[in-house]
Amino acid sequence: MIRVLIADDHAVFRAGLRLLLSAQPDIAVVGEAGDGWQTLKQAEALQPDVILLDLTMPGMPGLQTLALLRQQVPQARVLILTMHEDEAYLRQALAEGAAGYIIKRATDEELVAAIRAVARGEIYIHPAMTRALLEDLIPAPKIPETPEPWENLSEREQQVLRLVAVGHTNQEIADRLGLSVKTVETYRARGMEKLGLRTRAQLVRYMIQKGLLKE
Amino acid sequence: MDRKVFRKAIERFWEIAGGVSVRTKILGIVLGGTILFGLTTVLQVRYALHQVLVARTQDWGIAMASDLAARSTDLVLINDLLGLYRLLQDAIAHNPELRYLFVVSSQGEVLAHTFGTGPEFPAGLLEANPLPSGAPYRLQPLRTPEGIIWDIAVPIFRGRAGVLRLGLRDTAVRAAMNTVTVRLLLTTIVVSALSLGIALILTHLIVRPIRGLVAMTERVARRDFTARATIWANDEIGALAHAFNTMVEELAQQEQMRAFYLQRIIEAQEEERRRIARELHDETGQALASLRVGLRNLEQTMDPDTLRSRLEDLYQLVDQTLNRVRRLAFELRPSVLDDLGLVAALERYIRDYRERFGIEVEMQVVGLDERRIPPTIETAVYRIVQEALTNAAKHAKCQRISVLLQASLRMLSVIVEDDGCGFDVEQTLRAGRESRLGLYGMRERAQLVGGTLTIESAPGQGTTIYLRVPLEGA
Repeated sequence: MIRVLIADDHAVFRAGLRLLLSAQPDIAVVGEAGDGWQTLKQAEALQPDVILLDLTMPGMPGLQTLALLRQQVPQARVLILTMHEDEAYLRQALAEGAAGYIIKRATDEELVAAIRAVARGEIYIHPAMTRALLEDLIPAPKIPETPEPWENLSEREQQVLRLVAVGHTNQEIADRLGLSVKTVETYRARGMEKLGLRTRAQLVRYMIQKGLLKE
Repeated sequence: MDRKVFRKAIERFWEIAGGVSVRTKILGIVLGGTILFGLTTVLQVRYALHQVLVARTQDWGIAMASDLAARSTDLVLINDLLGLYRLLQDAIAHNPELRYLFVVSSQGEVLAHTFGTGPEFPAGLLEANPLPSGAPYRLQPLRTPEGIIWDIAVPIFRGRAGVLRLGLRDTAVRAAMNTVTVRLLLTTIVVSALSLGIALILTHLIVRPIRGLVAMTERVARRDFTARATIWANDEIGALAHAFNTMVEELAQQEQMRAFYLQRIIEAQEEERRRIARELHDETGQALASLRVGLRNLEQTMDPDTLRSRLEDLYQLVDQTLNRVRRLAFELRPSVLDDLGLVAALERYIRDYRERFGIEVEMQVVGLDERRIPPTIETAVYRIVQEALTNAAKHAKCQRISVLLQASLRMLSVIVEDDGCGFDVEQTLRAGRESRLGLYGMRERAQLVGGTLTIESAPGQGTTIYLRVPLEGA
């Protein structure tokens, strides 16, 4: 029997969940909580196997509740059940020790499967959210080998690009080097062209990778 | 200790001198200067005049005595005492400066004198000015109850016929000096009065514009921006008045601007609320209403196939509504920003943006890992980047945008750069308010968190927006 604690601030939603889960032969809802503190108290008192935790409840922020739960009832598996479909939340939740992450628009079957998986000690992540994690596995596209090495740039081009990379305006660069804005733009365009870079963000990334951006 | 007293005195002086009005100060300077000048002139003139007059009088006395001595030679030699007496009396009657005359014989006997008959010949006078033999004359000032008398002794017939003595008063000298002094003092007074008058006019000319400026600034302080200082002259005060006027114009413009933006903000807020209300009512409300009808329908549906397909429709409706509400909430205020911070919120926004506008956006973050910056700054930066990206999508016709966040210990630098068509910044800022509202909005937001916003763009050059926000040593 999987003993489940439901933590969500919407009573109707909790009731719906309870109804759904009670229909499962291997799942028992042992308690409900409407905010972070209540969740902690209930979890300590009931020692459930799985806690269904909403991330946005009044009072304590959901991620903090999660962290406290992991400390106080480490053996309970926490399955995040949330509206947030942001990969950033997913990452944070996993970092804080969540056993699973499922979104509220998931189907009943998906939710029940998730609870069972988490109770078995597996990690469950809703398919809609896995893309974000998989993107981490795919190596970030490397900055393509630049057509010309940094050393091939003229002194001026290097100077200008360095200043561009640390965030100076063209006007400031012009003032600092005693050039006209037009000339600065020309040096910059030529330098970028030689390096095969198109945007300032690419330039900064390039400089960081090459270790050229030390102040 | 002395130093302390001295400093106290100076402080006291400044307290008094600083307390009086500018007019009094200037009048004081003018009056003091004139009087000081007058008095020193009087002293100088008196001194010089005294020297000259005394020398002159003495020379005259010596000449007079020599002349009388020459004329009395024969009278002494023939012992004509009456003639001698007449000579002396005649001389003294015609020259009021002469106090006395007398002739002493070579034996030391007074032959004739002008002291009248009787024994009134002053005691000690005879011995008061002994003439050395061979000297042409001897001058001896005598201090007498009548004042200073210069006694001049001149030999008669080289001393063989005795000595002529002459007493010379300094009354003439003194009278002349007094006359000159009085005149000089009178002149000083008149000149003082005149310069006081001139100074009064001048101070009026100086003080009037200053008073005007004070009155004007008081009006400006009461938010009356129609106040203008009158420029009376082209001097420093005129320049000050001019500067004041420029400042007030600037203030008035800012005030006008502020009022305009305030109204725009309120309008925008109302517009936003209207949109949300419409969205909630027309979309969400409608959806929920149809959901309700759909549920009611379900109650009467018996056929399992129809039931399933209707349920499927309802699920779809719920999903749609959920998505709409989520999008609405995100547009209003992304909770990611509060929960997970600026970078996460921007990443999320940019992902949406890419899908919505099909513009490639690259974001590079330097030095912000694991670091939260104050929420007000996060919000400002988020909104500014949002506005910059929205502008780019609306106006720039660009293909690529790069968003750069660079944080150092003290500074957050945010650069949004597109490769679009660019625009003339100056012209746009000068042109109609509608078009520049977004730019000003960004600038206002930047200023609210103590930051600066710079826009660099030119037609055909793309647009770069630089935002720099100081971070308190977080």
